Amino acid sequence: MMLDNEILKIDGLSIAFGGLKAVDNLSFSIKENEIFGLIGPNGAGKTTVFNCITQFYKPNAGSLLFRDRKGEVQELTKHKVHDIIKLGLVRTFQNVELIRELSLIDNVLVGGHIDFKSTVFEQALKLPRAVKEEKALRIEAEDILRRLGIYERKDMIAFGQPYGILKKVEFARTLMSHPKLIILDEPAAGLNDVETLQLAQMIRQIRDEFQCSILLVEHDMRLVMDVCDRICAINFGQFLALGSAKEIQRNPAVQQAYLGNSEDEQHEKDSTVH
Amino acid sequence: MKKNHILKNPYVQFILFGLVLATLPIMAQTFPFIKSGYIITIGGTLIYAIAALGLNLLLGYSGLISLGTAGFMGLAAYISAYLTVDLGWPFLASMAVAVIIPTIIGILVGLVSLKIEGMYLAIATLAVSEVIRKTFEEFDFFTNGFSGKAAKFPSFFNISLDRATTYYLIVIVMVLVMILMYNMVNGQLGRALNAMRGSEAASQAMGVNLLKYRLIAFAFATAFAALSGVLYVHFVRYSYPSIWSLKLSLDFLAMIVIGGLRSIYGTVLGAFIIFAVPDLFLKQIPYFNQLSYMFNGILIILVIMFYPNGIVYLRYDIKKWWKKIFDRKGKVNHDAG
Ligand SMILES: Nc1ncnc2c1ncn2[C@@H]1O[C@H](COP(=O)(O)OP(=O)(O)O)[C@@H](O)[C@H]1O
Ligand SMILES: [Mg+2]
Repeated sequence: MMLDNEILKIDGLSIAFGGLKAVDNLSFSIKENEIFGLIGPNGAGKTTVFNCITQFYKPNAGSLLFRDRKGEVQELTKHKVHDIIKLGLVRTFQNVELIRELSLIDNVLVGGHIDFKSTVFEQALKLPRAVKEEKALRIEAEDILRRLGIYERKDMIAFGQPYGILKKVEFARTLMSHPKLIILDEPAAGLNDVETLQLAQMIRQIRDEFQCSILLVEHDMRLVMDVCDRICAINFGQFLALGSAKEIQRNPAVQQAYLGNSEDEQHEKDSTVH
Repeated sequence: MKKNHILKNPYVQFILFGLVLATLPIMAQTFPFIKSGYIITIGGTLIYAIAALGLNLLLGYSGLISLGTAGFMGLAAYISAYLTVDLGWPFLASMAVAVIIPTIIGILVGLVSLKIEGMYLAIATLAVSEVIRKTFEEFDFFTNGFSGKAAKFPSFFNISLDRATTYYLIVIVMVLVMILMYNMVNGQLGRALNAMRGSEAASQAMGVNLLKYRLIAFAFATAFAALSGVLYVHFVRYSYPSIWSLKLSLDFLAMIVIGGLRSIYGTVLGAFIIFAVPDLFLKQIPYFNQLSYMFNGILIILVIMFYPNGIVYLRYDIKKWWKKIFDRKGKVNHDAG
């Protein structure tokens, strides 16, 4: 089934849209505390893999095993979209999806949604349990913002903040849920070189400080090569290669896939799924 | 310093706001230029503000539209009138039933909202509202049809209220609703609704159960509308089918759009602009009644053009202008000194 040190095991994953096989019999697994990269040219099926893991799409075939917070192995396809985060698996979006009208800290607090035990009535009446929970989560959110270096901005409205800051806020929001595995959809998209370097640092920092695994979906090689322990390359929804950054870079099939798509990459504007 | 701090507390502000409104009946007795008829207008406005707050939770926070507010409000009004007058129920018991029944229907509409959105949801809620209104015309035994249904001022715990005391009750209920609303929108519920409006996918990824929160939004919106209907019928003391028409639902929409989406005071301000201002000032203008549709329409266009978040945000501009004037003055003084 699943090895003890594995956190996510994807086996024979397939999904088709109409006649198009967006993901085709794909298998790989991620270990605990690993930073794992999933790469492939634009349109390779990375976001689709992502949406299958998080149950936004129900795969046609294959299994998705995940070791949850309690150490129990869960078949992800048996869970609802909004229950995935409770298992300890949380995602970010390719186009940062924050609430523009809310402050940064309130956005981060959205990540603590599942930790609220008090009912709507307890909140409306401000009963002690609701007040206590809100306070505790607020302190935690402030702590996370501090660790990511954006504490001073906590009360600013998300709308109008620089893109790099918003990315960090989205990160902070995932951390509020105490994840075992964070999956990031093209986190480097829209960042300049300096910001990409900072992001790489932050990803490592998060893995070390929060003791979780990270699955990184990228089409841009800069970040993955720098930060990933292992990388899986796909093209046209199919497995190409798996290995360290160096091995992947040297792999002729990968080189071929990237060269063949190099023009598309220039004017890539990703199609979003939602 | 300390005093300043207390005044900044939102709960103190809500209560002060209520106290100011509560002075109206006394003022009407003291100052001849404040007519006692104003109590009906302002009381009515506050009643409408309660329903509008519910709609704001739905539209402003959750991004779900409803054109059914009037129907739910009217249903509650008739139920409460029927139970108290025809069946002789006590006020509080009939109020409870008159709030619960429309809320259940509202929750059912919420179930539908998972499947249909935007314009289609607007049409579906309008249809529900119109069906409800049709029953007001048809079920004579319950509503007394076109002749209208009469009701009495509320009475409970052996106290019978009159116009002025009912007005106080309305102020108290409205302040309570404002406080409840404040607590809800500034906590987990508010964040979940905001997240849902911003991006369904992102909110689901954060563990927000869309069905649950849509139902909660619809439940509170209809409960507030129903509460407002109960207060209406026991304050105005009659109900006609024609009151609960699409025009009223659109007025609620106008209130929150003009006053301020996602703003509690903005909603109350919107209710004043839509109901109290025409009633108190504009009615004297000849032909105004025929043109009141235009008044709302023009106002909405102006607000969307200049204050897309509602007139309540005018206060920031006023603050800015104030600061500018004040700063310039300070500078002049400084130069002089
Ligand atoms: N919801 C969908 N409906 C139809 N086709 C889709 C859908 N989502 C993705 N696809 C197709 O699947 C393929 C892979 O897309 P995607 O996973 O977004 O690629 P990547 O993220 O690697 O750029 C593309 O050809 C895309 O057009
Ligand atoms: Mg993609």
